[in-house]
Amino acid sequence: MKKEDADVKLIKYIQEGLPLTKTPYKDIGQALGMSEDEVIQSLKKLLEAGKVRRLAASIAHRKIGINANAMCVWKVPEERVDEVGKIMAGFEEVTHCYERPVYPDWEYNVFTMIHGYTDAECEAVIQAIKEKTGLNDYVVLYSEKEFKKVGVRI
Amino acid sequence: MILSDTDRKILHRLQSNLPLVSRPFLELSKELDIDEGTIIERIRFMIEKGYVRRLAPIINTQAMGREATLAAIKVPEDRIDEVSAIINEYSGVSHNYLRKGKNKDIPYNMWFTMSARDDEELHSRLKEIEDRTGLTVRSLPTVKKFKIGVRFKIY
Repeated sequence: MKKEDADVKLIKYIQEGLPLTKTPYKDIGQALGMSEDEVIQSLKKLLEAGKVRRLAASIAHRKIGINANAMCVWKVPEERVDEVGKIMAGFEEVTHCYERPVYPDWEYNVFTMIHGYTDAECEAVIQAIKEKTGLNDYVVLYSEKEFKKVGVRI
Repeated sequence: MILSDTDRKILHRLQSNLPLVSRPFLELSKELDIDEGTIIERIRFMIEKGYVRRLAPIINTQAMGREATLAAIKVPEDRIDEVSAIINEYSGVSHNYLRKGKNKDIPYNMWFTMSARDDEELHSRLKEIEDRTGLTVRSLPTVKKFKIGVRFKIY
């Protein structure tokens, strides 16, 4: 089997959850016909290559009380995108920060996702970003309804 | 909320990488000063009760050779259920939200993320949604990433 196929097979097997045992990597290996060390080394390489961002818990944030989220989109002059992106990413409550394209009917090029325990906490972060960057043209998009929310699978 | 201080401690640590060693929970037990068996049992409890969705690899779709985008669409009020059902049929759709501008009106109200095997598949799926709904889909793929790391402060 090609290395890539073996990686996909490994990820597919564990993407719904690692075995909750004392020796999870050994148990994965047993199921897939790999040694414990092969599983550990494969995961290490996937993490190093950035194919797996983290081997970690996905938290149901609403359930633990992080009830507020705001997608805040900003109109940022092209030459300031790098500088501003870094400032925004520096806030703990900013969980995602991306530059995205603009269109004739859409001129907001920097997207930030803000998570907080309350709306007030999200608002305070937006105010702090405004002060730190001097930006004033933005829209706060609140989620009115969630139709689908699942982790990314391959 | 029924999470104890022990649970919170575990939850906070689990948002970072699980150690890649033979006994990862034993390693955590040394870091957190919580018994290995207790850690495993509490993780199981938190998954069962829905506080933790899963303990698993968080995949970088693009690095795995997949293409992804954030798409936005303007859906008339009376077609929201119908259109969201169509969009949610696609397995590449991981998020789909109805969003509203708080301080300003925006031209779209439904926002979803879509991933596919490659660019061609991604575009053909977006085109298919346009054909099936008769609405225009705006694709807003990432130009540059400054941060992606959903880790929450656990109080």
